[in-house]
Amino acid sequence: MPAAPHYDFVHATAAIIAILALLSGLSLLLVKQVHEQVRVYAVQSVCAAAYTLLVGVNRVDAALIVLAVWTALIKVVVIPIMIDRAVTRRVSEHEVPLVVQVPMSLLIGVTLAGLAYWSASALPTHGALLPMPALGMPLSLVLIGFFFMITRQNVISQIVGLLTLENGVFIATVAIAPGLPFAIGFLLLLDLLPAVVFYGVFARLIAARAKTTSIEDMAVLRG
Amino acid sequence: MAIWLVIMLALPLAAAAAGVLLGDRPASGRLSAVAAAASFAAALVAVFADHAVRGRHAFGNTFFLDGLSGVFLIAVAFVYAVVAVYSIGYLRPGIGHIRLRRWYWPLLDVFGFALLATPVVANLGVLWVAVELTTVVSALLVTAEGSDESLEAGWKYIVIGSAGLAIGLFGIVLIYAAGVPSLGVHYTPTYSTLAHAAPHLNGSLVRTGFAFALVGFGTKVGLVPMHAWLPDAHSEGPSPVSAMLSGALLAAALYAVLRIGAITQRAVGPSYVHVLLLVFGGLSLLLAAFFTLRQTNYKRLLAYSSIEHMGIVSLGIGIGGPIAAYGAFFHVIVHAAAKTLAFFGAGDLLSRYETRDADDVRGVIRLAPFTGAMVLLGALAITGVPPFGIFRSELLIVTGGFAQSKYALAGLLVVFVNVAFVGVYQLFHRMVISPGEPTPRDRTRLSRPEQPLMAVAMIASLAVVLVLGVWIPSPLNRLLHAAATVIGGRV
Repeated sequence: MPAAPHYDFVHATAAIIAILALLSGLSLLLVKQVHEQVRVYAVQSVCAAAYTLLVGVNRVDAALIVLAVWTALIKVVVIPIMIDRAVTRRVSEHEVPLVVQVPMSLLIGVTLAGLAYWSASALPTHGALLPMPALGMPLSLVLIGFFFMITRQNVISQIVGLLTLENGVFIATVAIAPGLPFAIGFLLLLDLLPAVVFYGVFARLIAARAKTTSIEDMAVLRG
Repeated sequence: MAIWLVIMLALPLAAAAAGVLLGDRPASGRLSAVAAAASFAAALVAVFADHAVRGRHAFGNTFFLDGLSGVFLIAVAFVYAVVAVYSIGYLRPGIGHIRLRRWYWPLLDVFGFALLATPVVANLGVLWVAVELTTVVSALLVTAEGSDESLEAGWKYIVIGSAGLAIGLFGIVLIYAAGVPSLGVHYTPTYSTLAHAAPHLNGSLVRTGFAFALVGFGTKVGLVPMHAWLPDAHSEGPSPVSAMLSGALLAAALYAVLRIGAITQRAVGPSYVHVLLLVFGGLSLLLAAFFTLRQTNYKRLLAYSSIEHMGIVSLGIGIGGPIAAYGAFFHVIVHAAAKTLAFFGAGDLLSRYETRDADDVRGVIRLAPFTGAMVLLGALAITGVPPFGIFRSELLIVTGGFAQSKYALAGLLVVFVNVAFVGVYQLFHRMVISPGEPTPRDRTRLSRPEQPLMAVAMIASLAVVLVLGVWIPSPLNRLLHAAATVIGGRV
């Protein structure tokens, strides 16, 4: 008879963080206001930073702890403020037109999460602290972020979807390849920052043309 | 070798810094062109003069150069050099309509730097960062004309490209995780480390990692069905930028796929990598060939042609065996030269007619004979008409298909390449040869003298694709054999 899994404080905390991160991903599908979407992203990033911190403390790994602090600073504070200042306050409308309505979005989001957990269970990964399958939650965020991007016709929402997808990849990196963040973790964030600045430029350009961040009118190029 | 690689990478950065300081002065362009040409020369020395084909590290584990990286390095360095020269002419008043003039040169140089770095870095993490950098910079260049269409194209490109690269990074993370049991938690994922450890890597993680990497980096390659950004970005960006995207960026992203594919192949055997490349390559060739038949925007047509050619290279590698792989790598180089020629010609055409619609362009050969000749030769070159290099590379891939007893694949390749030929050639023939009745105003604009540097860049591209069609120099031959050995098997 297999032994019952042992859950201590650290594993239980990791499990709670994983649940919160997954719920934050699903919550994105519920909100229509762009400011709220940015805030949900910030909450999700708190989960990413907290998980990195937990792994760092558990492994007594100073680099991961620094990375956690850095992640919190960039993703929880700098990026949301930057997006907010760059675009959100400059446009007149704040509600995002939806290609797929909220109930259906949520249903698809839950299905995607189920698919992610099912796919991840086939991979022999032992994630640092995360409940098995370790890649279930990060992969869910990747899929939900992708789905969010393609069904929200708004510049800010697409940025938030992309950053959610990136959060999933980030958590996966800390979970199954905790040595990798030394090599690319900082580079990843440093790279992310200018990318967001550029997104801000693009978004501002679009907003400047029609005082809107909607991309519904972007349909000139086809075929 | 190391010093040449450092020079090659330092020059574009120095030119970018100078460009920021000099702003919109003519010296910015001249400096960039000199830096790009010198980088190309340094790349040639690094690849050919120091036996790099054997596979060597430089500066510890910072750089790695072997046959595979050598082929792609030469292709991107050549494109960067000719694009920089062409751009000087294109940015002259009354020719290209670039609004982002102040930042054009620094962005082009940083783009060149990232493209040159991609094939020479030695580890998967830095490879990803280099490809990501190309996205950020080139997306801004796509919007350089400042039109609504270019803005839409730039937005699609950065969103789809970044999503693809995040997925590509996920693939790299999985491959890293596959090495943790044998290499430990902390290791640097250099190609050689992973290649040596390949027999001990976890097979299912490597397979899944490669699938993610193929989809992720394949988005940047423009493989179907992840290609949605490509026709827009190529058609709406300024023509020299389109040439850089098509000839160099797609190749650099394909390099990332093949580099990860080479590791995967060592870990789980070649058939898995080959099958995935055949599926995505075949889909790309098929869809792009048919889309060429219905285009009236000549720059968009060239964009679909780029998807077709990336499909051909993927098929060449996917067929397996040394002959097809040799042909595929040769195709990377000749496609780079042919597609720059085609986009340069299209840029010249666009600057004269101020339309992308082929229905509004007639009789170019009579009104602007040099432009007409270049446009037509570019169309013939990219469609693989002999004696151009693409004919030779496609013939090699088909021969490789027969050598591997993959007759159906070879046959399909022949069929769809000919479908694409019909699509591309009939449109360019109509524009260049068919008689038209231009207005007096058109006559004045169309008959403006050739811009010398644009002409030089076009002739250089034409010379490369033509010469390589009839003669492959022995150092290049050795390099192509070495590249084929990395992923196609020993020759």
